[in-house]
Amino acid sequence: MNKVKQKDLILYSGLIILGLAAPYLFSAFKVQLTYLCVLIVLAMTWNLQGGEMGYNTFGNILFYGLGMYLTASVQVGMFFPLAEWTESGGEKTFVHTTAQYFQGIGVGLLVSAIIPALVAGAIGYAILGLRGHYFAICTLGLGIAAGEIAGGIEIIGAGQGFTTPPFPAEIVDNEARGKFFYFLSFALLIGTFVFVKYIYGSRFKLILNAIRDNEDKAEAMGIQTMKYKITGWMCSAFFCGLAGGIMGGLIGYIDSTDVAFDGREMGVFMVLMAILGGKGTLWGPVIGATLFHFFKEGLWTLILGWQYVALGVLIVVIVIYFPEGLMGWLREKYPERFGEVIDEKDRKAQVELK
Amino acid sequence: MNKLVKLFITSISAITLALVSFSSSFAKVEGDYIVLGSAISLTGKYSSNGVHTQNGYNMAVDRINKMGGVEVQGKKYKFEIIYYDDESNPKRAAQLAERLIKQDGVHYMLGPYSSGLTKAIAPVTEKYKIPMVEANGASRSLFTKGYKYLFAVLSPANQYLEVAIDLAVEKNGGKGVRIAQAFEQDAFSQDVRLGILDAAKRTGSEIIIDDKLPKELNDMAATLAKVKATKPDVLVVSGHTKGALTAIRQISEMKVDVPMLAMTHCDAAKLSKQHGKKSEYALCASQWHKNLSYKDKFFGSGKKYDKDFKKEFGYAPPYQSAESSAALLVFKDAFERANSFDRDAVRDALKTTEMQTFYGNIKFGPGGQNTAKPMILFQVRCKGDECENKVVAPTKWASDKFYHPIPKWSERS
Repeated sequence: MNKVKQKDLILYSGLIILGLAAPYLFSAFKVQLTYLCVLIVLAMTWNLQGGEMGYNTFGNILFYGLGMYLTASVQVGMFFPLAEWTESGGEKTFVHTTAQYFQGIGVGLLVSAIIPALVAGAIGYAILGLRGHYFAICTLGLGIAAGEIAGGIEIIGAGQGFTTPPFPAEIVDNEARGKFFYFLSFALLIGTFVFVKYIYGSRFKLILNAIRDNEDKAEAMGIQTMKYKITGWMCSAFFCGLAGGIMGGLIGYIDSTDVAFDGREMGVFMVLMAILGGKGTLWGPVIGATLFHFFKEGLWTLILGWQYVALGVLIVVIVIYFPEGLMGWLREKYPERFGEVIDEKDRKAQVELK
Repeated sequence: MNKLVKLFITSISAITLALVSFSSSFAKVEGDYIVLGSAISLTGKYSSNGVHTQNGYNMAVDRINKMGGVEVQGKKYKFEIIYYDDESNPKRAAQLAERLIKQDGVHYMLGPYSSGLTKAIAPVTEKYKIPMVEANGASRSLFTKGYKYLFAVLSPANQYLEVAIDLAVEKNGGKGVRIAQAFEQDAFSQDVRLGILDAAKRTGSEIIIDDKLPKELNDMAATLAKVKATKPDVLVVSGHTKGALTAIRQISEMKVDVPMLAMTHCDAAKLSKQHGKKSEYALCASQWHKNLSYKDKFFGSGKKYDKDFKKEFGYAPPYQSAESSAALLVFKDAFERANSFDRDAVRDALKTTEMQTFYGNIKFGPGGQNTAKPMILFQVRCKGDECENKVVAPTKWASDKFYHPIPKWSERS
């Protein structure tokens, strides 16, 4: 094992230990920590699409919302009639037993990973031929349309919203629910990170970069760009769906436009976090999401009423001063730390040429 | 790069630690204060009603504190409320409820504004066994989930406009009427819709238009065009404040003639002030009206509440404020009867609440809904350019006769 690898090992095991210990160390902050894990996952998966492939999408919220509804629907539908559960006039009370709850959420999450991926494949096949702004605008419509459609489907509660099954009452421990969702989301975070890290070492990532840098050339090199674009988006959708499923259970109430297909908040946040940290890097989205979450949780309540103004200012500052994100900015300042060798002679020669 | 990451992690941990030590200094009962928590919509689509709610809470806190506070085990305590802004977003509301309970150590909650947000918060308060008295979540589904710590001082949403259909049928000589309806896509309005469906079934009425309105509500011309073409007997609209304003604006612009117009949230939208004569004859469901004959020792009568509220905040209190003030009275009463700060004792006391407030009688049913108070209907009536809300149903409090049918626009001056 060489030296660099060893350092990585220490870092990763340190992070995992911190992650595992976090809900015990900061017991009161479990929900925020769960949010953090989910936000990082969303930023990382967005980065695959927007950062590495260069296809800026606002549509990932579609998979997130889909995952949320699917998990909850499966969890209820496996044991009870879904229509009666969501019907607000219903007088009946349904209660999941402990086993039903966990079986339901397990199967639900499985479904919420697979179906969004398939949907991404189908939609991708239709619209990944669009490029640049056209693609971005088209995906913007996806989330909005999905929210409106979901708001009209009676079986998932329509405008009433969908109350997800409450955590089994047989588990008396108050903290159990928080821990359960934290570890679930932490596991998802690790899974996503390992997957993205794996992609970063693969030819697949180079192909995605080639598509970003010059799609026509990539095509001319004999790469079937469409195939890779669709696969890339399906990967994003897979993890987005899972993240949505976990969030649905955690929040406990799904509303079509405000919670599930929440393009105005989550949909924008995931793009913002990836750009803040630096798109097209492995650690950028992680750092971006963490900073963003701390900013939001720490400052928002201090500036009640002005928080969205502050957010707007933040966006402007990021775009003007850190167009490449924090990682990009650091890379420019300290290129040697990123393993880049600068040939001073060559640099000077270029300057002189100008 | 790794060094940077490490530095980053260290700093984050430091900040978190600081936060932990900072926030745990709060407690449920601090010195002379009983701390209540509430997530309120100060921004976003419910911001105007959120502020009505907050004003109602603040008014009651001031009044109760001034009049001696809450007496528990011989000691006088004062109320204090920690507010957060939930941005009219259920996801945020659930997160903030968690934060109030876990980080601020709140043991008693006041409800947010709107059914949707209450639906998002109820699972959290239920999980931590935190009693919540809410005044603005009327959706019937809140009371069928078996929640044990949720208490609502208001009547369920499906009762809002049922009476209006009964009135219309009565005016039609007992025969069924043709109903056109448009409801916003949210938990509350959809429940009002269910109430209408029940009423229609019961009276043999027919629903000829059943439209859905989007959440960002500012246009319902399509529905009104259909109303113009099909001439129903009743038009029912519900979509919070924006729904009421949009309906009146477009009905008067398009000169839609309909014999009866029934709505919700007219007083919160200050219809009679904002639209004056254009809003005349609109029939509105309300939880409360200042002319009702209820009384309590803190606010006196509804009329006195109306006066005091105007003095304090500069506008007439809509029922959202009145019911929010009532929530505090319920809490005070429960604390004193429980004579303890034990959450379960307080909950048991809440369960057996039976009292009269200026807002109405309060007694909780098995699901936590208030079963002791009927809904009322008022109609906007104008004298010259001065418009006012007059109670027309139920007859016990009616100050004016129900005017029916609404004159055609061509006959209105």
